[in-house]
Amino acid sequence: MRERRKGPIGRAAGIAEGVAATVRRMQREREPRVLVYDETGYARLVQPDGRGYERLLQTADRMVELVDESEAEAKPRRARKAGT
Amino acid sequence: MAGTLTPERTARRLCELSADARAAVLLDAAGAPAGFHGVTGDRSGDFAELARELFEAVDRAHRDMPGGPPEQVEAQVDGGTVYASRTPRWTLAVVARRTALSSLMLMDLRAVLGELEGGAPIRRATAAAAAGAPVEATEEAAAGESPVPELGVDEP
Repeated sequence: MRERRKGPIGRAAGIAEGVAATVRRMQREREPRVLVYDETGYARLVQPDGRGYERLLQTADRMVELVDESEAEAKPRRARKAGT
Repeated sequence: MAGTLTPERTARRLCELSADARAAVLLDAAGAPAGFHGVTGDRSGDFAELARELFEAVDRAHRDMPGGPPEQVEAQVDGGTVYASRTPRWTLAVVARRTALSSLMLMDLRAVLGELEGGAPIRRATAAAAAGAPVEATEEAAAGESPVPELGVDEP
């Protein structure tokens, strides 16, 4: 169990720890990662030095780029349509 | 049968089901595109090719791992996350926003593929305002909305 901090300095330190943990978690969530799931739903992380990891990330990156390009192209078209 | 999901409508169905899905493609067992949604026509071929490559790379990565062959993959990159799911007949891949919840996206992929393969259609809740004519709020009406049959109540 976590020890309860006493006093304003203790509370400030507690808040700072919480913020630091949140920042660490957000950084971790932003990192590229690849997971594969078997038929039972069991997840396995593809290690960055593992076979196929780089290609998986490149493929996913390119797929996202294609969607970005498609959406960027569709947006001015939709705006033009709405304007007429 | 009306409402049966066709391969052509599957990618759109997935994007309609999930607010975080931006674009999707369905491939048949031979890897040929059977339907797509969210990408322009001139990019659909490349999109399908990349979805095919995704599982090729998964199979390559899987050689170093224990366990059965992967059925689903999640690849998180800077601009979004790609999810894909396969059955012996179909492969469905989707580009989703980074905010998408993995478990929900993977469940939606499985549900849509299940529906395509003749499984039960996915039930969607309708908003009260969109449900049509107002129904008097009675216990019988409420029981009719419940997906779980009540114990001790005979079916009509």
